[in-house]
Amino acid sequence: MSLQARSVVSHTLDELIAVCIARQVEDGDLLAQGLATPLVAAGYILAQRTHAPNAFFASAIGQGMVQDWAPLGVARAEELWSGKALAHASFVTLACDALPTLAPKEFFRPGQVDPAGNFNNIAIGEDHAHPRLRLPGTGGIPDVTVYSPGVYLYVPRHSRAIFVPRLDWRSGLGHSSARRAGAGPRILVSDLGVFDWAEGTMRLVTVHPGATVERIQARTGFPLTVAPDLHETPPPTAEEVRLLREEIDPLGVRRLETLAGTARRDHLRDILRREGVLD
Amino acid sequence: MSALSRLSPADKRLSLAEAAALVQPGQTLALGGNMLYRRPVAFVRELLRRPQPPTDLTLLCFTAGYESDLLVGAGCVRQTRTCYFGLEAFGLAPMFTAAASAGQLRVIEETEASLAFGIRAKLAGVGFMPSSAWLGTDLLALRPDVQTIRDPYSGETLVAFPAVSCDVAVIHALVADQRGNARLNKNLGIDPELAGVAERVIVTAEEIVERLTSDVDLPGPLVTAVTLAPRGAWPSSAYPLYPVGGGELLRYVEACADGDFAGYLAGVLEQGAG
Repeated sequence: MSLQARSVVSHTLDELIAVCIARQVEDGDLLAQGLATPLVAAGYILAQRTHAPNAFFASAIGQGMVQDWAPLGVARAEELWSGKALAHASFVTLACDALPTLAPKEFFRPGQVDPAGNFNNIAIGEDHAHPRLRLPGTGGIPDVTVYSPGVYLYVPRHSRAIFVPRLDWRSGLGHSSARRAGAGPRILVSDLGVFDWAEGTMRLVTVHPGATVERIQARTGFPLTVAPDLHETPPPTAEEVRLLREEIDPLGVRRLETLAGTARRDHLRDILRREGVLD
Repeated sequence: MSALSRLSPADKRLSLAEAAALVQPGQTLALGGNMLYRRPVAFVRELLRRPQPPTDLTLLCFTAGYESDLLVGAGCVRQTRTCYFGLEAFGLAPMFTAAASAGQLRVIEETEASLAFGIRAKLAGVGFMPSSAWLGTDLLALRPDVQTIRDPYSGETLVAFPAVSCDVAVIHALVADQRGNARLNKNLGIDPELAGVAERVIVTAEEIVERLTSDVDLPGPLVTAVTLAPRGAWPSSAYPLYPVGGGELLRYVEACADGDFAGYLAGVLEQGAG
């Protein structure tokens, strides 16, 4: 890569996460798109627009197989996932007949993750009948993580509450001795760095520009293992940033995963206004 | 006397109020659609307009959203069976999250596989379907009623997902006819199979025509009653007729954050009252 392309392009963390997700996509992949995961959708489409033109998308919205793309939306997401579907099925058919054997690549967002890459999307707190916080639920995580070789994780807001030494509940199967098929998570992308699992333990492999190992450790609830060739995450190229901002996600739907509180609500309101569905 | 006695295979039309009267306390109520898409919102609101809305319900949904959160907030639901209860880009479902975290609601953990294979079992007329899902996770501990079996050919351990059924399923359609034939859209969720495992199937429809002759997702024999409900999915979507009513969902989330679920509910029930 030339120095020119490497020169620092102004980018935001959500764009870097989407680019890191895109880098995990290979041409010809079948990519599963889950619920309320626009960073993943942005990364998938970016991969298709750059190095993986023959990637296909399998969407939880509309249960369709999609090869074309459309800009991301909130209220009009079906225009992409239903409107451009090549084929579609009911979720019963998808869950029973396709997911166990087609093994698409999929990125999941854990509520908690442990050093072995097991993860929790059930509830925070050990009393299931009375948790500290009930989470929305597990979707198909306890199903596909048991047999899929193509599981990836991402965490838009890295914190000690998410990276925990011990899970409250294990709904996603990681690099565990209980595993009989498939594989644990390959890669985890957070807003601070990228991790893999060398010998079954989460390991920091690249540090995002601006982050440090010390800061990542401070926001991780267990001792970090660090790769011997630790280096900085290569930043997005100017073209990647342009594609995300101007073509793939001009509304900035991806930022709904990195913002919180009032800022997130204001941004959501702005997206809805631009989609013409605020009234 | 239930309005059902009036129905014939040639004409299954009921009013929304008559259809809503069919749900009894303690029943398992299934709501069709998926996420924020094609949910039977008008039906749920009509249910909540009854002088005495049903209580003690088991709510069964592939995924549960705004429509289900209204039922939970109104105190109609004793337990939930779903693999996701939330509002997608709009965040956590506020009333579900509060009730489940406070221990006021029993959450029966389900996943895509447990619901899909369970429905398959019911449709096939057998007690369970085998699957390799869940093994190694905590799901089996959280669902002690779900058993494992030994594959008689390979000797492998498999999960035996029990059959899933329900008393009433409510599914919103783009168009239906008098005999119960209904056309959905490509965003099916589990609706075609859900209709097969329900004791009674109520279709609410944007439009009711005399006769559909093609592209039917729910054939008439599966359907108990059809009910006219224009914009009956809003503020969930009915693609391609209308998108998700984002402003209304924001209004709901903000009202709940301000502790005013009751005021919000009273407002929306008044709006549509016939």
